[in-house]
Amino acid sequence: MFNPETIKQQFPIFKQKTPLGQDLVYLDNAATCQKPLAVIDRITDFYAKEYGTVGRSSYWPATETTKNYNEVRGKVQRLLNAAHEDEIVFTSGTTDAINKVANSFLRPRLNAGDVVIISEMEHHANLIPWQQICTEKGALLKVIPILDSGELDYEALESLLTNKVKLLAVTGVSNALGIKNDLLRIIKAAKGFEVPVFIDAAQSVAHSEIDVVALHCDFLVFSGHKIYGPTGVGVLFGKRERLREMAPLSYGGGIVKEVTIEAASFQQSPNKHEAGTPNIAGVIGLGAAVDFINEIGYAEISAHTKAITGYALEQLKAMEGIQVIGDVDDRAPVISFVMEGVHAHDLSTFLNEKGICIRAGHHCAQPLMHRLNLMATARISFAIYNTKADIDALIIALKETQAFLS
Amino acid sequence: MNDRIKALYQSHILVNAKDTSHQGKLEDATHVLEAYNPMCGDQYTVSLKIVDDVIEKATFDGFGCAISKASTAVLTKQIEGKTLVEIKPFIELFHELVNELSDQSPESLTSDEDLLAFAAAREFPERKVCATLSWEELLLSLRGSMMK
Repeated sequence: MFNPETIKQQFPIFKQKTPLGQDLVYLDNAATCQKPLAVIDRITDFYAKEYGTVGRSSYWPATETTKNYNEVRGKVQRLLNAAHEDEIVFTSGTTDAINKVANSFLRPRLNAGDVVIISEMEHHANLIPWQQICTEKGALLKVIPILDSGELDYEALESLLTNKVKLLAVTGVSNALGIKNDLLRIIKAAKGFEVPVFIDAAQSVAHSEIDVVALHCDFLVFSGHKIYGPTGVGVLFGKRERLREMAPLSYGGGIVKEVTIEAASFQQSPNKHEAGTPNIAGVIGLGAAVDFINEIGYAEISAHTKAITGYALEQLKAMEGIQVIGDVDDRAPVISFVMEGVHAHDLSTFLNEKGICIRAGHHCAQPLMHRLNLMATARISFAIYNTKADIDALIIALKETQAFLS
Repeated sequence: MNDRIKALYQSHILVNAKDTSHQGKLEDATHVLEAYNPMCGDQYTVSLKIVDDVIEKATFDGFGCAISKASTAVLTKQIEGKTLVEIKPFIELFHELVNELSDQSPESLTSDEDLLAFAAAREFPERKVCATLSWEELLLSLRGSMMK
């Protein structure tokens, strides 16, 4: 029987009190998740018992490290249901992966007058890299608008698609509002014009099963630290033919076949895309995070975070003076709201005094906030270890704050 | 509600955040400053009417948290009537007041309660930027073209 309290016990941070002596109520999981002991121990053991480099050396412990590092590639392949292990490239995170695809895939294919499509709800990380290359090339960055409900305007997308479109980049879930996008519909529409599709899955992988074959996306990226893994590691999934036709994501050692002063030839992906000594401990830790997710299973994870989200929404909507942003039936475990008369940063400071962590601000999604005519919202976001008691503590603190500040 | 949070938001800050006496734009402004914190989106337009190096009028317009709004309200109220030469040490005093590393007690710096209220920000270094947002912008302008 799934019990979030026993799950919580696997996360050492919850065993200690905040500096003010309270239990930690951590509700900023869309920013980053806490780490289970299994991940922390795996990284410690790696450094303490088997540390070496990867891919270059024929001695123990480097051989052990190389084997373990490459096993993680297989774990991630299975997590995403990718067709081939070599479709998984390790990066330093989602932002790094987006920049690399922007530079290595989009830049050489983009000409003046071409079009790149993104959505109005993108995190700055899935906007600025594309925007900058469009500016440089004289290409157009077009935007799938959102409706007042917060959902994408899918009909508008269909009118944006032409054979001038060289890439469509969209998030699976709005990091600011928790709105889920209908990726199958988006990708199907894009494929009608043979447009490559890039998915920012940073907010998706922790909570919901991903199947890149069923999605038929060309690229999909996420970060380790948002799925209970360490910081500084992320994943780029790219279809085999895409990764093969792309120039290396960056240049350096470990990716080459032959090098002269004048020229270099490169290995095949994924090696060709991982120049330099990678974040080995990060990848090993990511493997432990994938194991952690698999042990619980997506069915339990999705059901639990959905139940917590529903409970939180119910409690928030029952309060006077609280406006939940985005009107959808089914949302990811992310809720943005505003409290009448109280700025989100003041609210965040008050909740911090109760040991409750929430995010306040524009959530790195300024165009979305402008569209919704909001300067800042309070955002709560849930993970596998959150409980109804966390939500109850939040609601009590919200009411106390409201009484004092508004 | 614990004492330190009450101290931060004590009545002076909440009252000043809601004080509309200096809100708005000046029709006859000689200087307009934009105070903006890109990390949180707080944004104020501060309008000044400066005649013969004296700030005759100061108002503000914009959006932000209670602390940044109150500090901008206090700034605009307190700089009216001051000369440009007087303003720089006044802003420096305010910075010292909110500086958690300061070795001077808030009470030794000022007896003005509207200003003293912000000393509570010493307990909340992450909110210092809210308290100093508009003050910092004015200081930058003073160092720039305003003094020429």
